[in-house]
Amino acid sequence: MKNNELRFREFFENADSQLVKIEINHLIPLPSPYDKSQVSAWRELDTDQRRRLVCNLDGFIAAGLPVPQNAAEEQKYIDQFVKGLKKLLSRESNWTFLQPLLLSLDFCVKCQTCCDSCHIYLASGRNALYRPAFRSEIFRRLVNKYARKSSSLLSRFGVDEIKLNWATISRLYELSYRCNLCRRCAQACPMGVDNALITRELRKLFSQELGWAPQELHEKGTQLQLKVGSPTGMKPKVVKDNLDFLDKDFSEVTGLNIATPWDKSGADVLLLPGAGDILSFPESIMAFSILCNAAGINWTLSSEAPGYDGVNYGLFYDDIQFVKIALQHARIAKKLGVKKIVMGECGHQHKAMMAVADRILTGELNIPRESSMTFLENLVFSGRIKFDPDRNNFPVTLHDPCNIVRNLGIVEPQRRILRYLCPQFREMNPHGVDNYCCGGGGGLSLLAGANFIGWKVNISGGLKFKQILAAFSDCPGSGVKKYLCAPCLNCKLQFRDLLEYYDAKEKSGIYCGGLAELIVNAMVDLKNPFITWGEY
Amino acid sequence: MAQMELAGRMLEVDENGFLQEPEKWTEEIARAYAAKEGVTELTPDHWTAINYLRKYYQENGICPMVRRLVKETGFNLKKLYDLFPNGPAHSACKWAGIPKPTGCV
Repeated sequence: MKNNELRFREFFENADSQLVKIEINHLIPLPSPYDKSQVSAWRELDTDQRRRLVCNLDGFIAAGLPVPQNAAEEQKYIDQFVKGLKKLLSRESNWTFLQPLLLSLDFCVKCQTCCDSCHIYLASGRNALYRPAFRSEIFRRLVNKYARKSSSLLSRFGVDEIKLNWATISRLYELSYRCNLCRRCAQACPMGVDNALITRELRKLFSQELGWAPQELHEKGTQLQLKVGSPTGMKPKVVKDNLDFLDKDFSEVTGLNIATPWDKSGADVLLLPGAGDILSFPESIMAFSILCNAAGINWTLSSEAPGYDGVNYGLFYDDIQFVKIALQHARIAKKLGVKKIVMGECGHQHKAMMAVADRILTGELNIPRESSMTFLENLVFSGRIKFDPDRNNFPVTLHDPCNIVRNLGIVEPQRRILRYLCPQFREMNPHGVDNYCCGGGGGLSLLAGANFIGWKVNISGGLKFKQILAAFSDCPGSGVKKYLCAPCLNCKLQFRDLLEYYDAKEKSGIYCGGLAELIVNAMVDLKNPFITWGEY
Repeated sequence: MAQMELAGRMLEVDENGFLQEPEKWTEEIARAYAAKEGVTELTPDHWTAINYLRKYYQENGICPMVRRLVKETGFNLKKLYDLFPNGPAHSACKWAGIPKPTGCV
């Protein structure tokens, strides 16, 4: 089969066989020393995984659905799927997203403009399975036939043929995790159709109606957060102990006296960090602590679960989990009596609290919520901290987290900081609202079971990696250390996998970190450089 | 659930080979994991790191920060990668029988 041919009919036939095979030679080329002969291919699924898990899509597994026991179990899921479809189309069950869903279902004119805007489709070498409108069209046909009972001329002539069976729903489930929900296609669509919204509605149907969600998002994600406070498993006592350790450790390194405040009633600012930053990128939380203290901000962290972890994976797959977590975050801020909540460097958290939760945080829970981008900008230009930009005299490029930049329109604050503090700042191309996703968006950076990392570094992350290399093409090799600034926890996780897979630190000297670290690194009061290029 | 044979026993593991029941861990299992990654002998330094990880996990229910592991063992990152080929999270925690870290880490 050619890479760009796939008939809709194939999608609902032969449930047990893999629909498409991804070949490394089809993928977009990368420049030397990253061309295909020089990087290893992904891990193929082993026979045991193929026996246990549903893998009838593209040879990768993101969701890890166990193979059903028998036909009766398959039928149960099919019936639940139809019930879920109807709920998505009903105002009582889906008042939040019904209107944009209907608009996106009804106004697609099949022009395929979305294809060329999709980094996954392009990096795959234009594999038809990854067309943004392919998934949507399957869904649209299912809605028309099973939830709306339309009998259009087209359906009577079999033009929009669809079958609802095990092949259809099991493939659709995996396929709903082959999209980063980055909405670049929605921005490109002349009709305003939002294929990312359709994808997310599909995930929601599977989660809320069938109980299907990747365990990294559900059992070890939202459920763990609601139970102990954070998907990392950190309880309040552990997070305070960790911050205490970091305060001391970084005080030694920087020569500053770092003391992170906890549970301060009536503070001006409650900082809502991503707890993953505390564990995996502690420079980020320490940089915020240093900057807030240096600027004399009256701020605090909360040690009440889940107030120390601002992530809300519900945004990726489930409205009910989303609401539970968003309400808890707002209630904690209300209880502390803070004047505003500042989002840590985490894109999906920005979108969750600053945009989507607007529909539920009303009345006294409608506490002002600000992006760390504008917060940091005000802090940098307040005149309260002295900077020496020469301390950042190395090549820096900026990754635009989709949720902060394209989806919330926060484009310039972070750039004004970098233009001021980083003499060798250079843009990627394209950038701003036209950026490409890191490849880990939509919750995919968390999914690491089976062989999915192979898909993320080659397909969803391929175009981004190419862009990063191009931004640093004037200084190739590992001799010059380069800083990829990614002000988002999810993006940093994806970049960690990407840079490791391509061995880009060794080959090109590329290191990834956040924005606050660059700001601290330029402070004149610092004894030693804050950025240590991943070594300590 | 996936299974893996380690030190002569079939044990439940996740898709990345991490032990799902930490209470079943033995030193033999640590050696078996190491052998799979080409490390045929566990030195006292290996045990220093593994024992610290297990103790921290038992007390706190999660893996420690890498920075903490570095400080408590006195091994820098390079040394940790020399000891554990796939690094602190993917080798050391796995050999210590601790479930794979969850969340944005």
